[in-house]
Amino acid sequence: MMNLDPRTRIIIVFIVSSAAIILKEVKSLMLLLAFTLVICILSSVPLKKATMRLRKLWYVFIVLAIIQSIFTQGGDALLTLGSIRLLTTKGLEAGISIILRMSIIIYSALIIIIASPLDMVYGLAAMKMPQEIGFMVLLAIKFLPLIRDEFIDSITAVQLAGADLKKIPLGKKISLYTYILTPSVTKALRRARYISLSMECRGFRAYPTRTYYCKLKLKKFDYTIMAATIASIIAIILISW
Amino acid sequence: MSFYTIDSLTFSYNRNTSLLENISFEIDNNQHIGLTGDNGCGKTTLIKLMLGILKPQKGAILIEGQNVKDMPLSHIGRKIGYVFQNPEKQLFCPTVWEQMSFSFKYGNEGNRHIMEDRINHYLDLFELKKYKNDSPMKLSWGEKQRLALASVLSRNVKFLIMDEPTIGLDMLRKKQLQKCLQALKDEGKGYMIVSHEPDFLERYVDKLLILTSKGVEVR
Repeated sequence: MMNLDPRTRIIIVFIVSSAAIILKEVKSLMLLLAFTLVICILSSVPLKKATMRLRKLWYVFIVLAIIQSIFTQGGDALLTLGSIRLLTTKGLEAGISIILRMSIIIYSALIIIIASPLDMVYGLAAMKMPQEIGFMVLLAIKFLPLIRDEFIDSITAVQLAGADLKKIPLGKKISLYTYILTPSVTKALRRARYISLSMECRGFRAYPTRTYYCKLKLKKFDYTIMAATIASIIAIILISW
Repeated sequence: MSFYTIDSLTFSYNRNTSLLENISFEIDNNQHIGLTGDNGCGKTTLIKLMLGILKPQKGAILIEGQNVKDMPLSHIGRKIGYVFQNPEKQLFCPTVWEQMSFSFKYGNEGNRHIMEDRINHYLDLFELKKYKNDSPMKLSWGEKQRLALASVLSRNVKFLIMDEPTIGLDMLRKKQLQKCLQALKDEGKGYMIVSHEPDFLERYVDKLLILTSKGVEVR
């Protein structure tokens, strides 16, 4: 499978997700999703595993699609309740579009997520992004699972202290979640401070310019993939026109 | 019937290697157990399995005859007190007093009068009373460790599991912990201590479980 340059990954994701927002037709969104899945497979994204892990997100998308379907009117009525048109062809189209659009954005993001975070920093630096911002992105990526783990630990601690989250009334539950969220955020902020201190102790920003251990070089294959992406997006736009 | 029954327990974090394999032992509710073993041998994992935080791949863990996997964490928490290895993980309330009173408010541990008496007793014992309106996050590591211990000890649980409770405690607080362990023994309550300190374990446990790659050795 192909080992893409981080810059190629960033450019592909930027082009594909922008196209997902611009395109309106269901047919063109389906073509774009198929193209995204092909790129994912070529970039060794574990599609089955990722789909399973994101299953809770799909429920949210389905709810969004249902809401979108009901509140978008126009076209022929597919489902009516008395004089109220519950589902129309336009509404159904809007619902399917939102699922396709979200899927394209999520799957294209996986192309970046599976790359090493440090490679992404090198990629951003090579794209003339200030190194501080590159490292901020790296830390943000690293912090998401840490905050999630902190939150899970706090939930476990609350339950082991005897609180049954299913039986607590709503008012008490809200104050309980405030209890849990506050230390999770505090701990994350404190950890961020320690990381910045440790980075500065190791000479981060000690000099105005810095050297990099890895030098990135775009290969022919990267250019081919980028050109193929642009060509495919143009073709999809032309088909939908 | 034993309080804890661990029957042919097997657990692994990945498919290739298993961390715990075919482990079996029993604990009575008034027994005092020590658990020791090399770093990374799975002591904390075993405890997490015993508390229902992790689920075993094979085998069963029973608390008073009931399978842990069928029990909600809150029910397990009402029977068993757990002191985390890292005290910060169990301190989530805005003040020391609220941390101490949490189980009484949310876990129905007892009435207000009993609550205040018990909390004040343990805050005094661990010299934490002066911090009762402060955030637990502002305390030093040793103070956090003492608060975590005090909040678990103040609850009326049947059995206690302490994951390396002596870390971060000075000599004086270690002695206070020893007093608490003695008090638990006198009340007829059982406990399990994970520790790397053989002298400490020798004095306060009746049975020592040594976790190795081959399984559990009982001494």
